[in-house]
Amino acid sequence: MSMSVTGQSLGLLVCTRCRATLRAVAAAEQRCPRCHSPVHVRRPHSLATTASLVITAALLYIPANVLPVMRTHTFFSDQDDTIMSGVISLAHSGSWPVALLVFFASIVVPLLKLIALSEIVIAVARKSVRHPQQRSRLFRLVEFVGRWSMLDVFAMSLLVALVQIQSLATVHVRPAALAFAAVVVLTMLAAQSFDERLLWDTQTRG
Amino acid sequence: MSVIVCHACDLAHRLDEIAPAARVRCVRCRAELYRTNAARVDTAIALALTALVLFIIANAYPLVAFKVNGTTRLATLTGAALGLYDQGYATLAVLVAITAMLVPLTQILAFLYVLVPVRVGLRAPGQEALFRVLAAVRPWGMSEVFVLGTIVALVKLSAEAEVSARVALIAYGLLMFTLTALASVTPTEQFWQWISRRRR
Repeated sequence: MSMSVTGQSLGLLVCTRCRATLRAVAAAEQRCPRCHSPVHVRRPHSLATTASLVITAALLYIPANVLPVMRTHTFFSDQDDTIMSGVISLAHSGSWPVALLVFFASIVVPLLKLIALSEIVIAVARKSVRHPQQRSRLFRLVEFVGRWSMLDVFAMSLLVALVQIQSLATVHVRPAALAFAAVVVLTMLAAQSFDERLLWDTQTRG
Repeated sequence: MSVIVCHACDLAHRLDEIAPAARVRCVRCRAELYRTNAARVDTAIALALTALVLFIIANAYPLVAFKVNGTTRLATLTGAALGLYDQGYATLAVLVAITAMLVPLTQILAFLYVLVPVRVGLRAPGQEALFRVLAAVRPWGMSEVFVLGTIVALVKLSAEAEVSARVALIAYGLLMFTLTALASVTPTEQFWQWISRRRR
Protein backbone atom coordinates (compact mmCIF):
# COMPACT_ATOMS: atom_id res chain seq x y z
CA MET A 1 0.00 0.00 0.00
CA SER A 2 2.90 2.40 0.60
CA MET A 3 3.66 2.18 -3.13
CA SER A 4 0.22 3.54 -4.04
CA VAL A 5 0.27 6.50 -6.41
CA THR A 6 -2.99 8.43 -6.37
CA GLY A 7 -4.56 10.68 -8.92
CA GLN A 8 -4.34 13.52 -6.42
CA SER A 9 -0.53 13.15 -6.10
CA LEU A 10 -0.17 13.21 -9.90
CA GLY A 11 -2.41 16.25 -10.32
CA LEU A 12 -5.05 14.13 -12.04
CA LEU A 13 -8.82 14.15 -11.51
CA VAL A 14 -11.44 11.59 -12.35
CA CYS A 15 -14.96 12.48 -13.46
CA THR A 16 -17.29 10.50 -11.17
CA ARG A 17 -20.08 10.66 -13.80
CA CYS A 18 -18.33 9.28 -16.92
CA ARG A 19 -15.07 8.15 -15.26
CA ALA A 20 -12.78 10.01 -17.64
CA THR A 21 -9.36 10.88 -16.20
CA LEU A 22 -8.29 14.50 -16.68
CA ARG A 23 -5.55 16.90 -15.68
CA ALA A 24 -6.43 19.15 -12.75
CA VAL A 25 -6.25 22.88 -13.48
CA ALA A 26 -6.27 25.67 -10.93
CA ALA A 27 -9.80 26.90 -11.52
CA ALA A 28 -12.76 27.53 -9.24
CA GLU A 29 -14.94 25.09 -11.15
CA GLN A 30 -13.61 22.52 -13.57
CA ARG A 31 -15.80 20.58 -15.97
CA CYS A 32 -15.22 17.18 -17.54
CA PRO A 33 -14.20 17.58 -21.21
CA ARG A 34 -16.12 14.41 -22.14
CA CYS A 35 -19.52 14.71 -20.42
CA HIS A 36 -19.28 18.34 -19.14
CA SER A 37 -20.11 17.39 -15.51
CA PRO A 38 -18.51 19.47 -12.75
CA VAL A 39 -15.38 17.68 -11.49
CA HIS A 40 -13.92 18.00 -8.00
CA VAL A 41 -10.84 16.58 -6.28
CA ARG A 42 -13.32 15.36 -3.66
CA ARG A 43 -17.06 15.98 -3.70
CA PRO A 44 -17.67 19.19 -1.67
CA HIS A 45 -19.27 18.71 1.79
CA SER A 46 -19.71 15.00 1.10
CA LEU A 47 -19.34 13.80 4.69
CA ALA A 48 -21.63 16.47 6.19
CA THR A 49 -24.32 15.85 3.56
CA THR A 50 -24.25 12.08 4.04
CA ALA A 51 -24.25 12.42 7.83
CA SER A 52 -27.26 14.80 7.86
CA LEU A 53 -29.25 12.56 5.53
CA VAL A 54 -28.46 9.48 7.63
CA ILE A 55 -29.53 11.23 10.86
CA THR A 56 -32.81 12.41 9.28
CA ALA A 57 -33.51 8.93 7.91
CA ALA A 58 -32.73 7.33 11.30
CA LEU A 59 -35.26 9.62 13.03
CA LEU A 60 -37.93 8.80 10.45
CA TYR A 61 -37.22 5.07 10.72
CA ILE A 62 -38.97 5.09 14.12
CA PRO A 63 -42.44 6.37 13.07
CA ALA A 64 -42.11 4.37 9.85
CA ASN A 65 -41.97 1.16 11.86
CA VAL A 66 -44.03 1.97 14.97
CA LEU A 67 -47.05 3.68 13.40
CA PRO A 68 -49.54 2.11 10.97
CA VAL A 69 -48.84 2.56 7.27
CA MET A 70 -52.15 1.20 6.05
CA ARG A 71 -55.82 0.89 7.17
CA THR A 72 -58.27 -1.69 5.87
CA HIS A 73 -61.97 -0.82 6.27
CA THR A 74 -64.28 -3.76 5.91
CA PHE A 75 -67.99 -4.27 6.56
CA PHE A 76 -67.17 -5.66 10.01
CA SER A 77 -64.13 -3.80 11.23
CA ASP A 78 -61.26 -1.40 10.70
CA GLN A 79 -57.75 -2.78 10.83
CA ASP A 80 -54.54 -0.77 11.07
CA ASP A 81 -51.34 -2.36 9.81
CA THR A 82 -47.74 -1.48 10.54
CA ILE A 83 -44.96 -2.75 8.28
CA MET A 84 -44.29 -5.58 10.75
CA SER A 85 -47.95 -6.59 11.23
CA GLY A 86 -48.21 -6.76 7.43
CA VAL A 87 -45.30 -9.21 7.40
CA ILE A 88 -46.88 -11.28 10.19
CA SER A 89 -50.25 -11.53 8.45
CA LEU A 90 -48.48 -12.61 5.25
CA ALA A 91 -46.72 -15.35 7.20
CA HIS A 92 -50.03 -16.42 8.80
CA SER A 93 -51.73 -16.75 5.44
CA GLY A 94 -49.03 -19.28 4.57
CA SER A 95 -46.89 -17.23 2.20
CA TRP A 96 -43.63 -17.72 4.08
CA PRO A 97 -41.24 -16.88 1.23
CA VAL A 98 -43.11 -13.63 0.44
CA ALA A 99 -43.30 -12.70 4.14
CA LEU A 100 -39.56 -13.22 4.43
CA LEU A 101 -38.92 -11.15 1.31
CA VAL A 102 -40.98 -8.22 2.63
CA PHE A 103 -39.33 -8.54 6.05
CA PHE A 104 -35.87 -8.25 4.51
CA ALA A 105 -36.72 -5.50 2.02
CA SER A 106 -38.75 -3.32 4.40
CA ILE A 107 -37.23 -3.85 7.85
CA VAL A 108 -33.75 -5.40 7.59
CA VAL A 109 -32.43 -3.51 4.54
CA PRO A 110 -33.28 0.05 5.79
CA LEU A 111 -31.83 -0.75 9.23
CA LEU A 112 -28.71 -2.30 7.70
CA LYS A 113 -28.28 0.79 5.50
CA LEU A 114 -28.55 3.14 8.49
CA ILE A 115 -26.05 1.14 10.55
CA ALA A 116 -23.60 0.67 7.65
CA LEU A 117 -23.68 4.32 6.57
CA SER A 118 -23.27 5.51 10.18
CA GLU A 119 -20.28 3.23 10.65
CA ILE A 120 -18.72 4.53 7.42
CA VAL A 121 -19.36 8.21 8.26
CA ILE A 122 -17.89 7.76 11.77
CA ALA A 123 -14.84 5.92 10.37
CA VAL A 124 -14.12 8.75 7.92
CA ALA A 125 -14.72 11.44 10.54
CA ARG A 126 -12.25 9.72 12.90
CA LYS A 127 -9.75 9.24 10.05
CA SER A 128 -9.63 5.50 10.64
CA VAL A 129 -6.83 3.91 8.61
CA ARG A 130 -7.98 0.32 9.02
CA HIS A 131 -10.20 -1.83 6.78
CA PRO A 132 -10.83 0.51 3.81
CA GLN A 133 -11.36 -2.56 1.62
CA GLN A 134 -14.14 -3.93 3.86
CA ARG A 135 -15.80 -0.51 4.23
CA SER A 136 -15.75 -0.01 0.47
CA ARG A 137 -17.37 -3.40 0.01
CA LEU A 138 -20.01 -2.54 2.62
CA PHE A 139 -20.70 0.80 0.93
CA ARG A 140 -21.21 -0.86 -2.46
CA LEU A 141 -23.59 -3.38 -0.87
CA VAL A 142 -25.63 -0.49 0.59
CA GLU A 143 -25.73 1.20 -2.82
CA PHE A 144 -26.81 -2.06 -4.47
CA VAL A 145 -29.65 -3.12 -2.12
CA GLY A 146 -31.04 0.37 -1.37
CA ARG A 147 -33.76 0.45 -4.01
CA TRP A 148 -35.34 -2.85 -2.89
CA SER A 149 -36.92 -1.17 0.13
CA MET A 150 -39.41 0.49 -2.22
CA LEU A 151 -41.11 -2.92 -2.47
CA ASP A 152 -43.77 -2.16 0.16
CA VAL A 153 -44.57 1.26 -1.32
CA PHE A 154 -45.31 -0.36 -4.69
CA ALA A 155 -47.35 -3.16 -3.07
CA MET A 156 -49.35 -0.53 -1.16
CA SER A 157 -50.01 1.51 -4.30
CA LEU A 158 -51.60 -1.54 -5.96
CA LEU A 159 -53.64 -2.50 -2.88
CA VAL A 160 -55.02 1.04 -2.74
CA ALA A 161 -55.91 0.97 -6.43
CA LEU A 162 -57.53 -2.48 -6.28
CA VAL A 163 -59.35 -2.64 -2.96
CA GLN A 164 -61.90 0.16 -3.37
CA ILE A 165 -65.21 -1.65 -3.16
CA GLN A 166 -67.14 0.83 -1.02
CA SER A 167 -69.75 -1.57 0.36
CA LEU A 168 -67.22 -4.31 1.11
CA ALA A 169 -63.65 -3.26 1.70
CA THR A 170 -61.37 -0.28 1.12
CA VAL A 171 -57.66 0.21 1.76
CA HIS A 172 -56.29 3.57 2.93
CA VAL A 173 -52.74 4.87 3.24
CA ARG A 174 -51.73 6.15 6.70
CA PRO A 175 -49.19 8.96 7.31
CA ALA A 176 -46.37 6.62 8.44
CA ALA A 177 -46.18 5.37 4.84
CA LEU A 178 -44.69 8.79 4.02
CA ALA A 179 -42.05 8.35 6.72
CA PHE A 180 -41.27 4.91 5.36
CA ALA A 181 -40.83 6.16 1.78
CA ALA A 182 -38.74 9.06 3.09
CA VAL A 183 -36.35 6.62 4.81
CA VAL A 184 -35.84 4.81 1.50
CA VAL A 185 -35.27 7.99 -0.52
CA LEU A 186 -33.06 9.71 2.11
CA THR A 187 -30.79 6.68 2.56
CA MET A 188 -30.41 6.41 -1.23
CA LEU A 189 -29.49 10.11 -1.38
CA ALA A 190 -27.09 9.61 1.56
CA ALA A 191 -25.26 6.85 -0.33
CA GLN A 192 -25.19 8.92 -3.54
CA SER A 193 -23.73 11.97 -1.80
CA PHE A 194 -20.91 10.00 -0.16
CA ASP A 195 -17.51 10.26 -1.87
CA GLU A 196 -16.05 6.76 -1.62
CA ARG A 197 -12.50 8.10 -2.04
CA LEU A 198 -12.70 9.51 1.51
CA LEU A 199 -12.39 5.91 2.73
CA TRP A 200 -9.03 5.57 0.96
CA ASP A 201 -7.46 8.98 1.57
CA THR A 202 -5.96 7.82 4.87
CA GLN A 203 -3.98 5.13 3.04
CA THR A 204 -1.61 7.48 1.24
CA ARG A 205 -0.85 10.06 3.91
CA GLY A 206 1.23 7.80 6.14
CA MET B 1 0.64 5.03 -22.54
CA SER B 2 -1.88 6.90 -20.48
CA VAL B 3 -3.15 6.94 -16.91
CA ILE B 4 -6.57 5.98 -15.59
CA VAL B 5 -7.58 7.04 -12.08
CA CYS B 6 -9.98 4.92 -10.01
CA HIS B 7 -13.22 6.82 -9.30
CA ALA B 8 -13.71 4.95 -6.02
CA CYS B 9 -10.26 5.08 -4.35
CA ASP B 10 -8.22 7.56 -6.49
CA LEU B 11 -5.47 5.03 -7.26
CA ALA B 12 -3.66 5.78 -10.54
CA HIS B 13 -3.19 2.92 -13.03
CA ARG B 14 -0.99 2.84 -16.12
CA LEU B 15 -3.01 1.90 -19.14
CA ASP B 16 -1.83 0.96 -22.62
CA GLU B 17 -5.22 1.14 -24.29
CA ILE B 18 -8.90 0.58 -23.55
CA ALA B 19 -9.39 -3.12 -24.36
CA PRO B 20 -12.45 -4.21 -26.34
CA ALA B 21 -14.83 -6.63 -24.57
CA ALA B 22 -13.14 -6.36 -21.20
CA ARG B 23 -13.98 -5.64 -17.60
CA VAL B 24 -11.10 -3.97 -15.81
CA ARG B 25 -11.02 -3.56 -12.04
CA CYS B 26 -8.96 -1.37 -9.71
CA VAL B 27 -6.06 -3.37 -8.25
CA ARG B 28 -6.60 -1.84 -4.82
CA CYS B 29 -10.34 -1.45 -4.18
CA ARG B 30 -11.73 -3.76 -6.91
CA ALA B 31 -14.08 -1.07 -8.28
CA GLU B 32 -14.82 -1.41 -11.98
CA LEU B 33 -12.53 1.01 -13.85
CA TYR B 34 -14.24 0.39 -17.14
CA ARG B 35 -16.22 -2.21 -19.02
CA THR B 36 -16.58 -2.63 -22.76
CA ASN B 37 -18.34 -5.34 -24.72
CA ALA B 38 -18.66 -6.72 -28.19
CA ALA B 39 -22.24 -5.48 -28.57
CA ARG B 40 -23.01 -3.21 -31.49
CA VAL B 41 -25.02 0.01 -31.47
CA ASP B 42 -27.71 -1.92 -33.35
CA THR B 43 -28.19 -4.25 -30.37
CA ALA B 44 -28.70 -1.32 -28.01
CA ILE B 45 -31.14 0.38 -30.41
CA ALA B 46 -33.10 -2.86 -30.88
CA LEU B 47 -33.36 -3.32 -27.11
CA ALA B 48 -34.46 0.29 -26.60
CA LEU B 49 -37.17 -0.07 -29.29
CA THR B 50 -38.35 -3.34 -27.74
CA ALA B 51 -38.48 -1.63 -24.35
CA LEU B 52 -40.52 1.23 -25.84
CA VAL B 53 -43.15 -1.15 -27.24
CA LEU B 54 -43.32 -3.07 -23.95
CA PHE B 55 -43.59 0.22 -22.03
CA ILE B 56 -46.59 1.28 -24.12
CA ILE B 57 -48.34 -2.08 -23.59
CA ALA B 58 -47.55 -2.00 -19.87
CA ASN B 59 -49.22 1.41 -19.60
CA ALA B 60 -52.17 0.84 -21.92
CA TYR B 61 -53.61 -2.31 -20.32
CA PRO B 62 -54.50 -3.38 -16.76
CA LEU B 63 -51.74 -4.94 -14.65
CA VAL B 64 -53.88 -6.98 -12.31
CA ALA B 65 -57.52 -7.92 -11.74
CA PHE B 66 -59.29 -8.32 -8.40
CA LYS B 67 -62.60 -10.18 -8.24
CA VAL B 68 -64.85 -10.32 -5.20
CA ASN B 69 -68.63 -10.95 -4.93
CA GLY B 70 -69.06 -10.72 -8.66
CA THR B 71 -67.38 -7.31 -8.89
CA THR B 72 -64.11 -7.07 -10.82
CA ARG B 73 -61.66 -4.24 -10.32
CA LEU B 74 -58.71 -3.65 -12.61
CA ALA B 75 -55.58 -1.70 -11.76
CA THR B 76 -53.33 -0.02 -14.29
CA LEU B 77 -49.88 1.47 -13.73
CA THR B 78 -51.26 5.03 -13.76
CA GLY B 79 -54.14 3.85 -11.57
CA ALA B 80 -51.66 2.69 -8.94
CA ALA B 81 -50.13 6.18 -8.78
CA LEU B 82 -53.50 7.97 -9.00
CA GLY B 83 -54.97 5.91 -6.15
CA LEU B 84 -52.31 7.30 -3.83
CA TYR B 85 -52.93 10.81 -5.16
CA ASP B 86 -56.68 10.53 -4.58
CA GLN B 87 -56.09 9.67 -0.93
CA GLY B 88 -54.05 12.84 -0.45
CA TYR B 89 -50.58 11.31 -0.76
CA ALA B 90 -49.31 13.23 -3.77
CA THR B 91 -45.68 12.75 -2.70
CA LEU B 92 -46.03 8.97 -2.75
CA ALA B 93 -47.90 9.12 -6.07
CA VAL B 94 -45.08 11.17 -7.60
CA LEU B 95 -42.46 8.78 -6.18
CA VAL B 96 -44.23 5.75 -7.69
CA ALA B 97 -44.75 7.55 -11.02
CA ILE B 98 -41.09 8.59 -11.22
CA THR B 99 -39.51 5.26 -10.25
CA ALA B 100 -41.87 2.92 -12.09
CA MET B 101 -42.80 4.96 -15.17
CA LEU B 102 -40.92 8.18 -15.76
CA VAL B 103 -37.35 6.90 -15.25
CA PRO B 104 -37.73 3.85 -17.53
CA LEU B 105 -39.33 6.05 -20.22
CA THR B 106 -36.59 8.68 -19.88
CA GLN B 107 -33.92 5.98 -20.22
CA ILE B 108 -35.52 4.49 -23.34
CA LEU B 109 -35.99 7.85 -25.07
CA ALA B 110 -32.56 9.21 -24.11
CA PHE B 111 -30.79 6.09 -25.43
CA LEU B 112 -32.73 6.28 -28.71
CA TYR B 113 -32.07 10.02 -29.06
CA VAL B 114 -28.31 9.60 -28.69
CA LEU B 115 -27.73 6.19 -30.33
CA VAL B 116 -29.89 6.40 -33.48
CA PRO B 117 -27.81 9.36 -34.82
CA VAL B 118 -24.60 7.45 -33.89
CA ARG B 119 -25.84 4.57 -36.04
CA VAL B 120 -26.13 6.78 -39.13
CA GLY B 121 -22.89 8.65 -38.45
CA LEU B 122 -24.34 11.83 -36.96
CA ARG B 123 -24.08 13.58 -33.64
CA ALA B 124 -27.17 14.27 -31.52
CA PRO B 125 -27.16 17.85 -30.23
CA GLY B 126 -26.85 17.91 -26.44
CA GLN B 127 -25.66 14.30 -26.17
CA GLU B 128 -23.43 15.19 -23.18
CA ALA B 129 -26.45 16.55 -21.30
CA LEU B 130 -28.42 13.40 -22.17
CA PHE B 131 -25.59 11.24 -20.85
CA ARG B 132 -25.66 13.17 -17.56
CA VAL B 133 -29.43 12.66 -17.36
CA LEU B 134 -28.99 8.91 -17.97
CA ALA B 135 -26.32 8.68 -15.26
CA ALA B 136 -28.42 10.67 -12.78
CA VAL B 137 -31.67 8.72 -13.23
CA ARG B 138 -30.12 5.24 -13.33
CA PRO B 139 -30.34 4.52 -9.53
CA TRP B 140 -34.00 5.65 -9.52
CA GLY B 141 -35.30 3.24 -12.15
CA MET B 142 -37.03 0.50 -10.16
CA SER B 143 -38.86 -1.66 -12.68
CA GLU B 144 -37.71 -4.93 -11.07
CA VAL B 145 -38.77 -3.75 -7.59
CA PHE B 146 -42.15 -2.72 -8.99
CA VAL B 147 -42.72 -6.17 -10.51
CA LEU B 148 -41.94 -7.83 -7.18
CA GLY B 149 -44.12 -5.29 -5.32
CA THR B 150 -47.04 -6.19 -7.59
CA ILE B 151 -46.50 -9.87 -6.85
CA VAL B 152 -46.49 -9.12 -3.10
CA ALA B 153 -49.82 -7.27 -3.49
CA LEU B 154 -51.27 -10.23 -5.42
CA VAL B 155 -50.16 -12.68 -2.72
CA LYS B 156 -51.65 -10.47 0.03
CA LEU B 157 -55.02 -10.34 -1.73
CA SER B 158 -55.10 -13.97 -2.84
CA ALA B 159 -55.97 -14.96 0.74
CA GLU B 160 -59.26 -13.01 0.55
CA ALA B 161 -60.28 -12.84 -3.08
CA GLU B 162 -59.65 -14.04 -6.59
CA VAL B 163 -56.76 -12.14 -8.14
CA SER B 164 -54.96 -12.55 -11.44
CA ALA B 165 -52.09 -11.07 -13.41
CA ARG B 166 -53.07 -9.35 -16.66
CA VAL B 167 -51.23 -8.64 -19.90
CA ALA B 168 -49.60 -5.39 -18.74
CA LEU B 169 -47.88 -7.16 -15.85
CA ILE B 170 -46.34 -9.65 -18.28
CA ALA B 171 -45.30 -6.76 -20.55
CA TYR B 172 -43.84 -4.95 -17.54
CA GLY B 173 -41.95 -8.09 -16.49
CA LEU B 174 -40.45 -8.34 -19.98
CA LEU B 175 -39.68 -4.60 -19.86
CA MET B 176 -37.69 -5.22 -16.69
CA PHE B 177 -35.52 -7.83 -18.47
CA THR B 178 -35.14 -5.64 -21.58
CA LEU B 179 -34.01 -2.64 -19.50
CA THR B 180 -31.49 -4.83 -17.64
CA ALA B 181 -30.13 -6.08 -20.97
CA LEU B 182 -29.99 -2.51 -22.31
CA ALA B 183 -28.02 -1.38 -19.25
CA SER B 184 -25.60 -4.28 -19.62
CA VAL B 185 -24.80 -3.55 -23.30
CA THR B 186 -24.33 0.19 -22.66
CA PRO B 187 -21.70 0.53 -19.93
CA THR B 188 -20.34 4.07 -19.68
CA GLU B 189 -17.07 3.46 -21.52
CA GLN B 190 -18.85 1.60 -24.34
CA PHE B 191 -21.34 4.45 -24.68
CA TRP B 192 -18.55 6.99 -25.16
CA GLN B 193 -16.64 4.74 -27.56
CA TRP B 194 -19.72 4.51 -29.78
CA ILE B 195 -20.11 8.26 -29.71
CA SER B 196 -16.47 9.02 -30.50
CA ARG B 197 -16.16 6.31 -33.16
CA ARG B 198 -18.93 7.77 -35.33
CA ARG B 199 -18.02 8.01 -38.97
CA ARG B 200 -17.97 11.77 -39.31
